[in-house]
Amino acid sequence: MGDITTEQPIIEIRNLSKHFDDFEALRDITLDVHRSEVLCLIGPSGSGKSTLLRCINFLEAYDGGEVRLEGELIGWKSAGAPPRKPLSGEALRRQRQHIGMVFQQFNLWPHLTALENVAEALIHVKGLPKAEAMTKARAALAKVNLSDKEANFPANLSGGQQQRVAIARAIAMEPSVMLFDEPTSALDPELVGEVLGVMKQMAAEGMTMVVVTHEMGFAAHVADRVAFLEGGRLVTCAPPADIFGREPDDPRVNAFLKTYRERNVV
Amino acid sequence: MELDLFVRYGPALLSGFGVTILCWIVGSLGGLVLGFALACLYRFGPRPLRWLIQAYVEVIRGTPFMIQLFILYFGGPHFGLLLTPVQAGIASFIIYGSPYFAEIFRSGFNAIPKGQIEAARCVGLSEGRILFRIILPQMLVPTTAPLTNFFIILTKETAILSVVTVPELLYETQTMASETFTFVEPFLVLSLFYWLMVIGTSWLGDKVERRVTRHLRRA
Repeated sequence: MGDITTEQPIIEIRNLSKHFDDFEALRDITLDVHRSEVLCLIGPSGSGKSTLLRCINFLEAYDGGEVRLEGELIGWKSAGAPPRKPLSGEALRRQRQHIGMVFQQFNLWPHLTALENVAEALIHVKGLPKAEAMTKARAALAKVNLSDKEANFPANLSGGQQQRVAIARAIAMEPSVMLFDEPTSALDPELVGEVLGVMKQMAAEGMTMVVVTHEMGFAAHVADRVAFLEGGRLVTCAPPADIFGREPDDPRVNAFLKTYRERNVV
Repeated sequence: MELDLFVRYGPALLSGFGVTILCWIVGSLGGLVLGFALACLYRFGPRPLRWLIQAYVEVIRGTPFMIQLFILYFGGPHFGLLLTPVQAGIASFIIYGSPYFAEIFRSGFNAIPKGQIEAARCVGLSEGRILFRIILPQMLVPTTAPLTNFFIILTKETAILSVVTVPELLYETQTMASETFTFVEPFLVLSLFYWLMVIGTSWLGDKVERRVTRHLRRA
């Protein structure tokens, strides 16, 4: 990575908060993601890491604070205190095109083939002519090593293959950042590797990635920084060496990682 | 069997069959479209609108078709609504069918996993595109069978239109029967015509079901 301190962060999260009724899911989160950085979000379940990820593309409307992508406020018409007006559907769609997302449950559209899943938004969001969209979609499928499966419906793909199609669907849109919400948690253990392999390759090619994960090996070896959340708060954000070292500074991180150490994962 | 009767009344029966088909197709497709619109409004509309739709569904489902037809045809002129029998028949058919269609579609909406819609929003698809490209095709998987069923039920409901002198199949058959004092032959023919509509519908329903479930078959 280059000199990250002088460059404007691609994602800026400032004092972010989010409530679900009375439950405080996120509290005063401030975090930057720099271009070409891989940031992993870890923490116990219910700690708010998925909610944080989903605030970045406004799948969850955050209440307080700001999320900016390349300087542009996401989701709301203006910064400042609530109540504030959400962006029009049109404006939000335009923002979301720059943010790719991959889900735990893949969320492919089952009635469309792998190729159609990838081409859909190229044709109907980017407005590409069909032939050009198909060429791009095929290139995206080739990147995730699934050229031979383009005619398959999701029901005829393994979990790992489905997740790779989902990645292809996202990267075909050429987003500025990619969000991954526990991309391997729904996979059989032997299929995890093929998805992580594709993600590693994307990281190596300079994609900016925010990854919610329980794969501590991936976080330790691929992430540039690891953020640890607990109870809706950002406890720490540091290079993996500091987090996964024998004795992290924060006892909460230590307690969380202990279970993984006991399983010899890290 | 007196076959010359059918030579004499054949054209009238065929014309009755034509009117039946017309009322059935226009009326039930209209009901289908209105029902789909109601289901969409129910799902995406504001709360007061949902109450209104719920009330509409309860009222229409809670009253017999013949009464609705009478109100529209005989009561309409009191409100300045003058309809020919065929117009009134088709309009009441649309109204009568719409809440049943709406309920079928409403259940279909619930069958789509939320994550698929989120994924569609993430790549920037518009809500309209999501409805017609992502939701609707998958809604047809669980709803094709009940939709086919209801279309079949509606084929036979067309007979009620005869009470407001719509010159449909039953009307023409009754005319033939009363003019010739034959009953077995005309009503056998009547049954045959309805049966043709029913098997045609179920054949088409089967085709549609095969088409909309093709992605679920293992390669």
